[in-house]
Amino acid sequence: MQAHTFHIKWGMVIDIDKCTGCGACMVACQAENNVAPVTEASNKLRTLSWMLVYQLSNKQDFPNHDVAYLPRPCMQCGHPSCSTVCPVVATTKDEEGGIVSQVYPRCIGCRYCMAACPYHARYFNWHDPVWPEGLDKVLTPFTSVRPRGVVEKCTFCHHRWMAAKEKARHEGHDPSHLAEDAYIPACVDICPTGAMHFGDLLNPEHEVHKLSKSPYAFRLLEKLGTDPQVYYYSKREWVRRQGDNYLKHEKTKGE
Amino acid sequence: MKKMGLDRRSFISFLAGGTGGILFTPVVWKLLDDASIWSQNWPWIPRLSYGALDRKSALCKLGPDAYGVEVLTVGGRPVTAYGNEKDPASKGGVCPLGAASVQLLYSPARVKSPMKKDGASMVPISWDEGLSILKDKIKVAGDKVAMISGDETGTAAEVLAALVAGLGSDQYFLMPSEAGPAVRAWQNVFGGDGQPGYDFENSDCILVLGADICQAWGPGVGKSCMDAKATGGSLLYAGPVENGTAAVADEWIPCMPGTEAILALGVANALIQAGRSADTMGMSEFSDFVRKGFSPAQVEAKTGVQAAKIKDLSERLLRAKKPVVVIGSEIGQGLSTFEAAAGMSLNFLLGRINQEGGVRIVPWAEPVFEGAPRRDAMLAKDLVAFLEGVAVGRNEAPAVMLVHEANPAYALPGGQSMANSLRKAGFLVSFSSFMDETAAMADLILPASYSFEGFDDSYTPYGSAKGTYLATAPVIGPVNDTKTAGDIILAVADELGLGLGLESFEEVLQARAENLGADWSGLLEDGEAWTSERTAFQFFLSMWKVPFDADLGKKGADGQLVLAPVVKLNIGSAKMATPPFNVLTISERELQGQDCFVAMNKATAAMIGVDQGSMVKIASQSGEMKGRVQIFEGVVPGAVSACLGFGHTAWDDFSRGKGTNACDVLLVQGLDSQGGASFGNPQITVSRA
Repeated sequence: MQAHTFHIKWGMVIDIDKCTGCGACMVACQAENNVAPVTEASNKLRTLSWMLVYQLSNKQDFPNHDVAYLPRPCMQCGHPSCSTVCPVVATTKDEEGGIVSQVYPRCIGCRYCMAACPYHARYFNWHDPVWPEGLDKVLTPFTSVRPRGVVEKCTFCHHRWMAAKEKARHEGHDPSHLAEDAYIPACVDICPTGAMHFGDLLNPEHEVHKLSKSPYAFRLLEKLGTDPQVYYYSKREWVRRQGDNYLKHEKTKGE
Repeated sequence: MKKMGLDRRSFISFLAGGTGGILFTPVVWKLLDDASIWSQNWPWIPRLSYGALDRKSALCKLGPDAYGVEVLTVGGRPVTAYGNEKDPASKGGVCPLGAASVQLLYSPARVKSPMKKDGASMVPISWDEGLSILKDKIKVAGDKVAMISGDETGTAAEVLAALVAGLGSDQYFLMPSEAGPAVRAWQNVFGGDGQPGYDFENSDCILVLGADICQAWGPGVGKSCMDAKATGGSLLYAGPVENGTAAVADEWIPCMPGTEAILALGVANALIQAGRSADTMGMSEFSDFVRKGFSPAQVEAKTGVQAAKIKDLSERLLRAKKPVVVIGSEIGQGLSTFEAAAGMSLNFLLGRINQEGGVRIVPWAEPVFEGAPRRDAMLAKDLVAFLEGVAVGRNEAPAVMLVHEANPAYALPGGQSMANSLRKAGFLVSFSSFMDETAAMADLILPASYSFEGFDDSYTPYGSAKGTYLATAPVIGPVNDTKTAGDIILAVADELGLGLGLESFEEVLQARAENLGADWSGLLEDGEAWTSERTAFQFFLSMWKVPFDADLGKKGADGQLVLAPVVKLNIGSAKMATPPFNVLTISERELQGQDCFVAMNKATAAMIGVDQGSMVKIASQSGEMKGRVQIFEGVVPGAVSACLGFGHTAWDDFSRGKGTNACDVLLVQGLDSQGGASFGNPQITVSRA
């Protein structure tokens, strides 16, 4: 399938060396996007984690052990595996900015996209969402509540982009040239250590443009050719090496 | 006449026409689309409601810290929390509890009205009845009234302390924290005044001993450390577990649980050997003390940190232009006064007191009420030491115990014995917004409004390098039949004829702002924090002006298994159980179903004879807990790491009955001569359960 060409590519650079694994990004995402709370979340295949923090280990024994945390939103791939397999065009990558869409009313729940996504970034509503009495009062007006039978995923808080464009128009600015902080997703907004950066990967004025070109930047499973718009950053070689499938003697990216 | 009928040709034409029609008519597709939409549009799926968006400033006090947030409102309805960039304490960041703070307004665990104990259950009562009961009980109790508050930075605790002091009692306690031992150390051991803070942001070498500052000390601390790293500074973490701070540090220096103070004195010895000294009284005695008891070999034997590494640490601190050392507990409580002093002694030797990028001593805020204790007077009193005394009969149990924004029945060491001490109080009153373990055992609950439902404030959380003050107005009116804690206490004081002089809690906060010189309307309307660069004047500092503690560093033991508890704010804090929105964040390494995990490395597991997933019982002299084994090489050998925050018996389905409470295993290991209780790293036995 022919990939679209965009003038804006919204992207994230997550500095793993600054992430304490606190989980604030997961909570912020859940609250912003109206993911219902659950009383039991042990089975991560049944929960809805648009953002999920993984613990990484260098797999060395004490005292040479090292630990790192990797927050994983949707990668908003340049060549998405998910949208190409969707039989009902419920997920596409055709909007300026390169965010992979997810149209809930179109989704028929076949979960083909979940099987295709190599990042496990898509989640299926096995049950109807349950909001304990009163808790539905905190629903934000940004994301509709999904019923069972629908696949959902991170949208880079797409509504925030819409709002930023509207604000720019209102203030007489060009909505296609937003300032760096005009649009950032909830997870980036809230991060208590400033580990997450967001902006236009194609805009040299944006920090993410520079960070994504660092030798310490890498993407997950880059060799698959999915061209993710989420970059990670770590000065630790073992962390970068876990980002992809390397042959035993193959040099790690950035080395 | 031609015969009418459907021949083969007509039939095929009809089918072809019909197929073409279906393909080209929008009706079918429209119906399918509608069917798809309506099949997802059920009455039990909540609909969104819209309205004007606004942001109101508020305070998050759910963890050990306190910082400003902005609450997004939609048509006046609070929906979620964002960071407040105008708050220097948080720098716009939000901790995982703050991120879930708005949803807690409607938590199923909220106490919906005043309640009193009726047999084994709690029954709702009116506010008039509740206040009347409390007034009568206090009248009878006289000066035998005690209080516990978990609001270390708020003026509400001061109002409560003013009431208790007005009754002639000096039993005003704050929940254990990092501030208590740090302030006791600064005032009693070094003769200083004010609250120590740390200018991490401007430091070029941050040595962290024990405390998980980047994860658990509030969002601003993590950001400040990362800012220091970004400008070429280094962050070194010494502790028994690779926690959140270790994950972002340049180096993790593993040391045995509870031995960070010994490591500090080992480094102090190396600094003195390298010629560092403080030109104050007591320096020569301190030199002798560390030289005799904390040689590299002695420290290595106790901490497990190699002598060469101790030397390396001292050299790195000496090479740095603006080093700072911070000591604390992995769980934010339980440090002894002397352990806190051991860490601070390094800043003393390095000449880092009231220096940029070093330790900055923030002046205290003077009390609003005459006769009320200042915060340092409250921090000087150790709740654990007091309750321990009640347990063994050393202290008399209070006739009335008032508990505010705290859950001592759950979060204190040896949970069950502390709960028993609380039970010895003649009448237990909880002002909790939530049905926590303490509220569940209280005789009377007068539920305080949640922080977002009333006026609230915070003055300089511990660790802040500058004086800060934040005050906030209600984001929303009370969603249940609750009142602001400050207003409840003022009403009680009024009923008792102890008029504190101010009518409402709002007036109290205005008076506080006025005392500080802060602009009240700016604080409320713009969410602006009042800040002050002023440091406290130190009249006479000396090095270690009290006798050295022979028991310093007695936590842990050679050849014994030791508990290395950790705290993760997403799971909860001493006052907050897991909020509904945080259940998702608990990893499968921490909780599976009803079973929590305890972590140890392979060597320790082999020594005990357990494997990944084995259910084990961990017992100390204090109590026991159960958990499944998680093999994690980020724990020092001989230590077992357990996460606090599990094992709630009250609250709601989001936290109740999940795992077991590691506080039960924590053991009070002694009271120091400055009145502090030391706990956190008891010797344990581990057996298959």
